[in-house]
Amino acid sequence: MRAWLPNLLAGRLVRLTWLLPLAAVGLFTLISLAPIDPVQAYVGGRSSQIGPEQRDAIAAAWGLDQPAAKRFASWLGQLTKGDLGQSITFNAPVMQVIATRLPASLALVGLAFVLSFVLGTLLGLTAAAMRGRWPDRVIRTLAVALAASPGFWVAILLVAVFAVGLGWLPACCATPPGQLATEVTLADRWRHMVLPVVTLSVVGIAPLVLHTRQSLIAFLKSPAAHHLATHGATPLRMALGPGLRHAAGVALTLHLAGAGEIFGGSVLAEAVFAWPGLGQATVRAATGADAPLLMGIGLATLLFVFAGNLLADIAARLADPRLRRPA
Amino acid sequence: MIRPLKLLALAASLLMPAPSEARPLVLAIGGEPDGGFDPIMGWGHYGNPLFQSTLLRYDAELTLVGDLATDWTLSEDGRVWRLRLRGDARFSDGTPLTAEDVAFTYNTARAAGGLADLTVLKEARALDELTVELELTEPRITFVSRLATLGVVPAATYGEGYARQPVGSGPFQMVEWREGEQLLVEPNPYWHGGEIAFERVSFVFGSEEAGQALARTGAADVVAVPPSMADAAPSGLAVLHVETVDNRGLAFPMLPDTGATTDAGTPIGNDVTADRAIRVAVNQALDREALVALALNGHGRPAMGPADGLPWDNPEAAIPGNDPTAAMATLEAAGWRDTDGDDIREKAGLRAAFRVLYPASDSTRQALALGASEQLRGIGIDAQPTGSSWDEIGALMHSQVVVLGWGAHDPSELFYLHHGDYAGVDYYNTGHYANPAVDARLEAAEAASSFGASLGEWKAAAWDGETGFGPKGDATWAWMVNLEHSYWVSDCLDLGPLQIHPHGHGFPITHDLPSWRWTCE
Repeated sequence: MRAWLPNLLAGRLVRLTWLLPLAAVGLFTLISLAPIDPVQAYVGGRSSQIGPEQRDAIAAAWGLDQPAAKRFASWLGQLTKGDLGQSITFNAPVMQVIATRLPASLALVGLAFVLSFVLGTLLGLTAAAMRGRWPDRVIRTLAVALAASPGFWVAILLVAVFAVGLGWLPACCATPPGQLATEVTLADRWRHMVLPVVTLSVVGIAPLVLHTRQSLIAFLKSPAAHHLATHGATPLRMALGPGLRHAAGVALTLHLAGAGEIFGGSVLAEAVFAWPGLGQATVRAATGADAPLLMGIGLATLLFVFAGNLLADIAARLADPRLRRPA
Repeated sequence: MIRPLKLLALAASLLMPAPSEARPLVLAIGGEPDGGFDPIMGWGHYGNPLFQSTLLRYDAELTLVGDLATDWTLSEDGRVWRLRLRGDARFSDGTPLTAEDVAFTYNTARAAGGLADLTVLKEARALDELTVELELTEPRITFVSRLATLGVVPAATYGEGYARQPVGSGPFQMVEWREGEQLLVEPNPYWHGGEIAFERVSFVFGSEEAGQALARTGAADVVAVPPSMADAAPSGLAVLHVETVDNRGLAFPMLPDTGATTDAGTPIGNDVTADRAIRVAVNQALDREALVALALNGHGRPAMGPADGLPWDNPEAAIPGNDPTAAMATLEAAGWRDTDGDDIREKAGLRAAFRVLYPASDSTRQALALGASEQLRGIGIDAQPTGSSWDEIGALMHSQVVVLGWGAHDPSELFYLHHGDYAGVDYYNTGHYANPAVDARLEAAEAASSFGASLGEWKAAAWDGETGFGPKGDATWAWMVNLEHSYWVSDCLDLGPLQIHPHGHGFPITHDLPSWRWTCE
């Protein structure tokens, strides 16, 4: 009955085996071509206290005096031993940097992912069921406006209104300033999550609303829907019943495929809200030409998006029987 | 009868502030050290090591005073520092700090390849429990800056995870560091420096916007803000502008263009700026007050040299600016005249024209380049402001004028910027300047027998009555402005006397954090 699953997994595994090395080489080439001198970036404003001899010592300590090909080879060598190398900017093992920061990012991205999926699908269904009436128009306007709004701008707007203006929610950080992790209550943690999660949700919600609306309208126009309607089903009941099943597969595929975008959006949201996640680390790594860390984060993101897409395909097939047929 | 009393007691307890509940001090000043708090890798070299203490320290007037060291001597030949340590210094885990720890710190930092430059150190030795000796490979008086900035780590427990779990003998101990979010510190109970008014201090990191939002919601007590928006402080916070030597100036190519190139193949020299008259005229013409008003919104001060107001600065080396008449006279006397009527001067077929490069991403430097260009046009010099990337600037900085910035609490900067040995090395002596008399002065300064004795040599390198790198002498730079660092500070906080800040935002303001006091309550 689930014969499609092993086939799908095997196909993806093959894809991953050529995608990973390709991505690694591509990433490393881009980083070595970047017009940033890692030593200068590391030294930064401290130039006047670091003499040229010390610069050479720094370059040697990080292996930057080696040619790029040799650096890549030694990075690969370490990788086969399960070691992602040492981050220059954080002066710590890449594995450790990612491990300490990934949970905070996953919490943010995961919550935003669920919230935007639930809200987006529901809004899309409602709009389709009320097609042409005012709720439909309001929802569509909102979706188009959100699609056109940059994430960081939404973040600043939310902070201005709900933190500074109304004083309802905290303006930054994952916990209140001045408190230890052990002193922070669960309620505090949730309060601090609201604005970043809403900001991130906004990134993914607009396409979802519009697509769900469109696919439900298509369903409502179909002979099957006409048949149900003649038997007395209201548009709303059809939307939340068979219509939901009809639209959910497409919505889920779309949403999971866009997981990378939410991940990307988290870089901006984390910067605005001082959220201790991987996004900030990515920015620092990029501006510091920190090759080992960028490679580590790049590959981790690749795996994350890859897993997202795989889950999307599985979920969509479970939700929509039509997709299980071989194409 | 009892109920009203109870109510009264309840009301009183609600009205009275809880006695022991000192509120944490919250700072949003940026400057999170990504690499952690390991002095050996460079933590604390700008500002304040916070968790560690140093052998010496600069006070508000930038005079060196003892911290861990009670007295110190430099040998006759300027190569051996001998320091006596105080007996009561302890690490935050309670273990005493000894000469062994100091020797270990210095020897380890020399070999580490981090941001602490100790290449001149030969060896550090503990002579006894409380005496340490630092031997240099050559006399280098600016090594005192290391004595004042390198935090001492415990030899017994220093290791792998130190940067993220620092133990030091400084005023504070780390309680928690959630990277990218906040750092929480509490006073080190064993600190030798006296009482600290805060039970806990929190450094919130993240973007500038996050800091400002915190300030507006009343959650932060000290916030670093860009000067352009500093004056709009929210209620409860006052604006603080701190003077700095975070300077910006025009660096001139000093050699004529002979077709010579650097090892990387980029051209060296510029026939226009190689003429001293041009460089002096630029110095005479610049209206620095106007540049401060234009580029810094008035939040800064004119810069006359690379170290304005620091003990090794020589104000005598400067020449007054905002004097186009004098500038034009200088140009006339040197033979620069406008012969073809285009308002730009020429001399022997050479136009008085050069490019002024600035990083296109830096709006302050852009405004300075545009402003200076406008002012120079008035005296017949065509300075073309050109925005580019640091990459391009790196390739052109030996043949064109560049807007560069420096400023440190360390006179070795004067050496790097003006000594012939550093010609074309990194961003130091971009103009390939070399004057044997100045080189000799700079070397004499480094070889001085004491820091006090070196000051006269540093000053003489800028201008000794006959020559120097300053505007009265070779005029290697036309310094323009010193920035101000701006903060919002709680009305309830007294920061005491403040140092002139070096280049770079962030931790410098915490230099005297242990002596800050609440003024309310």
